Amino acid sequence: MGTGEESIVIGQVLGHCRVIAKIGEGGMGVVYRAHDEVLRRDVALKVVKKGEGLDPLASQNLLHEARASSSLTHPNICTIHEVGETDGELYIVMELVEGKSLHAMCSDGGLPPDSVLRYAVQITGALVRAHDRGIVHRDLKSANILVTPDGLVKVLDFGLAKRVQGEKFEDSTRSFVTTETATSVSGTLHYMAPEILRGDPADYRTDLWALGVVLYEAASGRLPFEGRTGFEISSAIMHEPPKPLGPPVPPGLWSIIQRCLAKEPMQRYQRAGEVQASLEAVQSAAIASIDPGVDLGPTRTMFLHNMRHVRVRRGDSLLLVGTTKGAFLLRSNRQRIRWEVGGPFFHGYAVYALVYDDREDRHRIWASTQNYWGTLLRFSDDFGKSWTTPQEATIRFPSDTGLSLKNIWQIALGRPDEPNVLYCGVEPAALFESRDEGKSWLLVRGLFDHPHRPRWMPGNGGLALHTIVLDPSDKQRMYVAISAGGVYRTDDGGRTWTARNRGIRVTYMPNKYPEFGQCVHKIAMHPGRPERLFLQNHWGLYRSDDCAENWKDIANGVPSDFGFTVIVHPRNPDCAYVVPVESDEFRCACDGRLRVYRTHNAGGSWEPLMRGLPQKGAYETVLRDAITADCLEPLGIYLGTRSGQIFGSRDEGKTWQRILEGLPPVLCIRSALLGDASFRSELTLAEEPAATKRSVPASSPGSKPLPTSKSRRKKKR
Amino acid sequence: MIVPVTFNIPGALREFTGGQSTVEIHDSPATLADALSALWRLHPGVRDRMATEQGQVREHINIFVGNENVRYTGGLMSLLPARAEISIIPAVSGG
Repeated sequence: MGTGEESIVIGQVLGHCRVIAKIGEGGMGVVYRAHDEVLRRDVALKVVKKGEGLDPLASQNLLHEARASSSLTHPNICTIHEVGETDGELYIVMELVEGKSLHAMCSDGGLPPDSVLRYAVQITGALVRAHDRGIVHRDLKSANILVTPDGLVKVLDFGLAKRVQGEKFEDSTRSFVTTETATSVSGTLHYMAPEILRGDPADYRTDLWALGVVLYEAASGRLPFEGRTGFEISSAIMHEPPKPLGPPVPPGLWSIIQRCLAKEPMQRYQRAGEVQASLEAVQSAAIASIDPGVDLGPTRTMFLHNMRHVRVRRGDSLLLVGTTKGAFLLRSNRQRIRWEVGGPFFHGYAVYALVYDDREDRHRIWASTQNYWGTLLRFSDDFGKSWTTPQEATIRFPSDTGLSLKNIWQIALGRPDEPNVLYCGVEPAALFESRDEGKSWLLVRGLFDHPHRPRWMPGNGGLALHTIVLDPSDKQRMYVAISAGGVYRTDDGGRTWTARNRGIRVTYMPNKYPEFGQCVHKIAMHPGRPERLFLQNHWGLYRSDDCAENWKDIANGVPSDFGFTVIVHPRNPDCAYVVPVESDEFRCACDGRLRVYRTHNAGGSWEPLMRGLPQKGAYETVLRDAITADCLEPLGIYLGTRSGQIFGSRDEGKTWQRILEGLPPVLCIRSALLGDASFRSELTLAEEPAATKRSVPASSPGSKPLPTSKSRRKKKR
Repeated sequence: MIVPVTFNIPGALREFTGGQSTVEIHDSPATLADALSALWRLHPGVRDRMATEQGQVREHINIFVGNENVRYTGGLMSLLPARAEISIIPAVSGG
């Protein structure tokens, strides 16, 4: 291509930029240092001469592309400030980057792996941003990547290559085929993906190929595909594997380069974000194994925030409430008329799971807490006055899985005769087991290695194992529910698992009755009749009477069979409660009326329970764990809504009262009854606003009475 | 010569740094990864808040060296200038 060199003179003004000096020359034209006289800054000015190799349509396209690319702002993309044309030339005003091209930096040999990773993350970040905006680079190469003295990468010429190089490429290919040796275009050819050589259009994956070439070059100082002629280069690109890169290139980086350089676009990464994640993983490998070498025992911490504590007494009835912004503890006596509220605990953390553990002599509340600092399992032995804050998360995916814990959706207690056993259902979908009171946890491999797992699909709330049900009569049998994977059962203590979804319909799949993949929202078992389970599906309400071998549709007379939750009456296996929701699109109570539906005949028919529940404009949602029953006579039932209200019934659901409103959205609610046996007589717990941060030794939690401070409380009020 | 770098510790993590709002690293770390390793050896509880069990910095945690987010300077391999000030900042987002 011709250049604009002849026609531009130093001192000439293009737009509002005065040309100062020529600083380079590339395939597209000449680059000058210029001074923007309006904004008073130095800029780079690229001048492309029209006429030669750039017909009027092509120049219009170039202008269009340059304008599109000028919308890209990213620290690793050289910003285009302005595009324009004069009589003879198109010009592009860009950020002036002082630096060296990656090409020049690695021409004498490969760069150290740390540097390659540092640049790779930045180049990939630039591609992620551009691809998100629908812009493909099309001419990524080491000569187009500048590195500043501070180590900051700037990728040049985004989107500019489409028309210019594309058209030039056709000429060059023809000339290459007729044995021309590569000159100015050779740089481009070495980075071209096989599909471009075949004449297919460029897409995001074409850039990822070029990225692979650039990283190969940066790591080794060589190009992956070489030849004496254009034909030989093209042939190597099309047919030959790149020569493997050994140490010092880390194996993880080599795998990434190889995957970028897969001949078929379908075999490559499909998105720049995937490359970025892989690069971060390689970087992380270096620090993942850091052994702090210090005692990581749990610390116990009193939280600062204006928290209220409730006085818990023997025989009390408690409600543990988890919300998107913390946990609350409600207490009442067995009359369950008035409720005192304690909390919030874990200010600002989402609490998806709570459970009260009174096995042996404990009175322990387990809680899962989640926010951007991660997810932790914690407990309190003093009804929320202090909580464990483990320095190191106890539930961790092993390194070979490559997964990281996102959330703990369910905490389940082991059987009464296994008082040290606990289970957690987590996201990404997996089951963890502890046999030492939660001190250490193991991934249940039998389920994790299930061949179905790669085909489970995330539901609206992510891919989560959210329900764990233990068979009280058979210690080897357990059920889990996964959204969206379905119900799985083990009969050998967790070693092997079988999908148990026969009869559960999937509305959104071509095969309506698949072996697995159901978006099960909740399952519930009656402990006295463990072969019976109720199931609320994404759409559909079911019952099984044969340990989940077969499921039968029982949506007989509910206003909608969509819903999130189901519970079973603890004393009556024919009685279950659901809260129907209008649809998966409108996940609110049907007709703006909050109604609980109850069956007395195992789903043969359902009756609405609504006395005391809002029946007008109540677009409420009760999430999967936001309903619970106590075991008192008559049965108490409690539900929490996404609007932060808690309703309770003391007469098995016949009538309801609003217990509390104004909470953050309620995620879970659990009932706890304090019997004499489960409550240590020497422990006195008094209402006390937390005033100062205080640590209590972990060794003897709750072994001595905690101080009461009525006087301080009075003062505070 | 030892050129220290300084971490600015956000309030939520001071529980794990003995209440300190800044932590100085005195062994001239070259990269962010080196500096983090040193920080986590001093204050192990900080590690799991900042990074996943696979060692990846958590999605909504940003690390700045000076005024620049390390996302744009090479991630964990970002170079540290002498006397770098490193800030740990949770993303401002969410409901």
